[in-house]
Amino acid sequence: MSATPKATEAPLLTVRNLSVAAGHGPERRTITVATDLDVARGEAIAIVGESGSGKSLTAKAIARLLPQNVFASGSIRFDGLELMEIPEPHMQRIRGRRISMLLQDPFTMMNPLMRSGLHIEEMLSDRSEFSSRAARSAELERRLGEVGITGEKVAQRLPFQLSGGMCQRVALAAALARDPELLIADEPSTALDVTTQAEIMKLLKRVQVGRGMSLILITHDLRLAFSTCDRVYVLYAGSLLEVGGTRGVEADPQHPYTLGLLLSEPPADRRVPQLIAIRGSVPRPDDVADRCAFDDRCDWRADICRVAKPALSEIAPGRSSACVRLGDIRGEMRALRRRALEPIPTRPADATRSAPLLRVRDLTKTFVLRRGQHVHALKGVSIDIAPGESVGLVGESGSGKTTLGRCIVGLETPTSGTIEVAGVAIADYSKLSRESRSRIRRTLQMVFQDPYSTLNPRHSVRRSVGEALRAAGHHRGDAHARVHSLLRDVGLPEDYSGRRPASLSGGERQRVAVARSLAVGPKMLVCDEPISALDVSVQAQILNLFKRLHDEFGLAYLFITHDLAVVRQVVDRVYVLYRGEIVEEGTTEEVMTQPRHPYTRRLIDSIPRSAVSRNL
Amino acid sequence: MNVQGKAVHAERIRHVAAAPGLVIAAMFVIVVVAICAIFGSGIAPDSPFTQRLAVGDQPPSAEFLAGTDLLGRDVLSRTIHGAWTALVGPIVIAAGAFTIATLLGLVSGYLGGMVDTIIMRWVDFMIALPAPLVAIVVVGVVGGGYWTAVLVLIILFTAPDTRIVRGAVLEQRPLPYIDAARVLGVSKTRILFVHVLPNVLPIVLAYVLLDFAFALINLAGLSFLGLGVEPGTPDWGRMLFENRTILFSNPAALLLPAAMIILTAVSMNLIGDWLFERLTR
Amino acid sequence: MNGADLARFILWRLAVAVPLLLIISFGVFALVHLAPGDPVRALLGTRPSDPETLATLRARYHLNDPFIVQYGKWLWQVLQGDLGRSINGNRRVLSAIIERASVTVVLGAISTVIVLVVGILLGVVAALRRGSRLDRAMVMFGVLGISSPAFVTGILLLYVFGVVLGWFPTFGPGRGFVDRLWHLTLPAVALALSVMAIVVKITRAAMIEEMDKDYVVFARARGITPARITFAYLLRNALVPVVTAAGIIVIGLLASGIYVEVTFALPGLGSLIVDAVQKRDIPLIQGTTLVFACFVVLVNLIIDVIYALIDPRIRFTSVAS
Repeated sequence: MSATPKATEAPLLTVRNLSVAAGHGPERRTITVATDLDVARGEAIAIVGESGSGKSLTAKAIARLLPQNVFASGSIRFDGLELMEIPEPHMQRIRGRRISMLLQDPFTMMNPLMRSGLHIEEMLSDRSEFSSRAARSAELERRLGEVGITGEKVAQRLPFQLSGGMCQRVALAAALARDPELLIADEPSTALDVTTQAEIMKLLKRVQVGRGMSLILITHDLRLAFSTCDRVYVLYAGSLLEVGGTRGVEADPQHPYTLGLLLSEPPADRRVPQLIAIRGSVPRPDDVADRCAFDDRCDWRADICRVAKPALSEIAPGRSSACVRLGDIRGEMRALRRRALEPIPTRPADATRSAPLLRVRDLTKTFVLRRGQHVHALKGVSIDIAPGESVGLVGESGSGKTTLGRCIVGLETPTSGTIEVAGVAIADYSKLSRESRSRIRRTLQMVFQDPYSTLNPRHSVRRSVGEALRAAGHHRGDAHARVHSLLRDVGLPEDYSGRRPASLSGGERQRVAVARSLAVGPKMLVCDEPISALDVSVQAQILNLFKRLHDEFGLAYLFITHDLAVVRQVVDRVYVLYRGEIVEEGTTEEVMTQPRHPYTRRLIDSIPRSAVSRNL
Repeated sequence: MNVQGKAVHAERIRHVAAAPGLVIAAMFVIVVVAICAIFGSGIAPDSPFTQRLAVGDQPPSAEFLAGTDLLGRDVLSRTIHGAWTALVGPIVIAAGAFTIATLLGLVSGYLGGMVDTIIMRWVDFMIALPAPLVAIVVVGVVGGGYWTAVLVLIILFTAPDTRIVRGAVLEQRPLPYIDAARVLGVSKTRILFVHVLPNVLPIVLAYVLLDFAFALINLAGLSFLGLGVEPGTPDWGRMLFENRTILFSNPAALLLPAAMIILTAVSMNLIGDWLFERLTR
Repeated sequence: MNGADLARFILWRLAVAVPLLLIISFGVFALVHLAPGDPVRALLGTRPSDPETLATLRARYHLNDPFIVQYGKWLWQVLQGDLGRSINGNRRVLSAIIERASVTVVLGAISTVIVLVVGILLGVVAALRRGSRLDRAMVMFGVLGISSPAFVTGILLLYVFGVVLGWFPTFGPGRGFVDRLWHLTLPAVALALSVMAIVVKITRAAMIEEMDKDYVVFARARGITPARITFAYLLRNALVPVVTAAGIIVIGLLASGIYVEVTFALPGLGSLIVDAVQKRDIPLIQGTTLVFACFVVLVNLIIDVIYALIDPRIRFTSVAS
């Protein structure tokens, strides 16, 4: 944690009544209502919110980089200068020199046709001391060194030739090339792997503290905010709901939403009986203009919450909350938190192992690209899953986890090795008899990552699930009834069957996808990152769904994910995959508390955490 | 105008729809043209075939609103009747080319491998040919004729259309809902026609209209060179061929059919762009 | 750029072009047999059809040999530079082509310059002034241009500028450099207009697509000057799809040029082809089509090389595309 900013100094950035909206007149859509923000010199604040909260556009508004058709109003005072009133050429001179920004996707942030070093060099050209080539090169080297890049080669490369982490480092160096006083980082690590994420965040923190620079971190990850910043602003559906120092907010959240968000994030250090999920999904700011934004989904809602939109009010020095019922419900909130975080013991390993449902031995898969390049996605992987057992497969991008999942369900054919399901060898689906193939497909099904493209956009829910029933040979007339019963199983109302995916939220779509895979009555589900593309508050809902289905139907899972915290909550045994090889396996408890392989240890260490969460 | 331009235009442009008022005007124009095509004889003031050599090559007058051509035929009546060949051929070309292209594109895009390579090699080859040249030469050597021209154009248009459909299929193919169908064991044929096709069809529909405009232009062009419709047929392109010599005495005989070609093509393009934007939102 | 890589790329492209040319030559050769009736009659033209002439023709064109052999002999002749003789007038096809080629090439060159320079400029301006009235006008212009084939535009321009205003001549190629330019202005503009519309549309769309991308936002966030962003970021990236399309555009230009030459009665290669087709002069059709096709393939190759030079990404990912 950085030193707390001096209370006496005026803040570097003072934002008052900043509201952002899209469109004009009758088509105006609110993105955020009037919000206030303060950033002191050298301070790091986080704006935390899910999708639709307006956090990213608020950040862009501060730098006056809003896209076409999006407008901001209010006051943004930067070191005494009112940014909303200065002409664009003046603002352009401020950007880069005093206020800079770092965006989310390291690859798209860089000019694809420009060498990475040039991104930094072009920012040095206006200073006379760097007019000579030698001086510029030296400076370039120094700056790359600051972000942990040594050696000539990187600067000469084009962005597409670098890894995500490398690109992000170069981008950071470019953003800092003119030594700004304030850096706005918009989800700077979201597009990266967990281990790379941790590295970049550490780097960012080091640089921020080293330069005494102010930082505004935009993120959806509360844990990240707590481990990196001094103060946090919680934004939901365009309204600020809570503001405070990170230690305080983490230890004792003063708004039901913050509490809900905290509890939705699966704790990495223990298994809890059930994740407290926030029901429903994020509303549009305009729909909640006249009441508390969180009203629909709040467990403590009352009439007073709907009278008007509650304002953010100070409840202690440096802490504010927009909950009007805070006094009444504080006690209940704390109790809920204690209950929710009580660990339950994980199931002891089953001593008598029944014959495995899935048996994979020495599986390899090599992809041959153009120009004869070989990519060894899997290098001899062996796993077992017993009937009804929930097993996790943990790895980052490039580990081969998705490839393994796809080989098992027949979307890819392995190069060598065996896969057996209930005794039938299925490594090569095309070699199976039609009958066997059909039987296997009714035994194994898959749930995919992206809820927005997992359903056919032109098929209604009934059609999508119906296709599954049809494929399973279900031609009886009661298909409708079957569809309804499946929808009920996944927690959706029956009248959703006539709807098209476009009118469903991400969480709802994923539920339909699960219903679809349940239609054939499988014994095992291969779930490939089924929740990572969902909002945090919805992730918990779906995780609970998976747990319930496991208990109700005795389903076996191969749960593929990069998130160890998720693994902790859902699976009994875990395999850790690194670059195509299993480097560790064991029960969840063992692997999480006593990791043996250095990579596993690195993975566990990469989970952002602060001191507070460990001492509850 | 040419097949390559069409291929490029179709693929690379994010179409911008014009103001709604313009689109409605465009639809109105098409409706008018269609009415002329179907009810030509009922609307036209005179027969398009009657020759009155005595009053040949006259500028517009009360009797002949657009004047007469060299053979004394009423230019306005010929223009109205010309709507028929301006609509029928292009519709057949657009529909025909796209039907074939949809089948080829679906198969090529989804199956990949050898099938895809073969089909795409053929497509690349066809697109590399300068289409107007091929059309002129082939139609000319075979002996001309409206339906010959239509057939040749269908063949020439199929290639860029196949590329468009294949592109749309390739966009859908890696999506999880297709994977889900495969994991469910749905047959390839069913996946193609029940799962992929409905998602490709909207784009195809928009492009069919754009294809129509290009077909009209190419067909009229062939007639302009005397290679399309049979001599004597009232056809806008043919009229440009016949009346070139009377540009100075009765310009209406050229300007009217020229304006109709542009108007019809522009209208179809506007509607096509508008449909495209609506369907890719 | 690595010289060896470039050389390999060019050689590969040439290798791909050869089979293409062979297929085209085969198609061109087979034209004779496409014509309705006995090929001999088609080759006869207007000459008397007595047995001797027929026999001479059969011998000259090897019509009694099997198809493949005929093709082989014809191809051999062509490779030696002998494109046969025109039926009408018995002139050597090759000389006819050379005579007419200059008009076509000059017309094509002027149009290409107009299309690329003006087209790209308008596209860039429209994109930078996105949503303004100028932009809307450009879009309309685009639609209009695509819908107006060169021969129609040609006639309209002829009427307005040639007949009504009398500023430009209405037919013929002119004599002498300046006179020739004056004569070729209207045709070049007519030709350019329809194709330029596509270039404007592509450039505008490409620029707008780049303008919304992250790397432009990041550049602005770093305080890079608008001028540098327009050139080093936007234009540079937007040119890639434009260049890809440019090759296709140039080919389209050449093809549409045929119509323009006919409209303005210019003695170029295009009108020669049309003439030959209308008169069913098979050897002439074959010769001119072959030359035209070869030229098209050559231009494609040049454009591919330029594209490879501009976009470093494709150099690294694959040689064959």
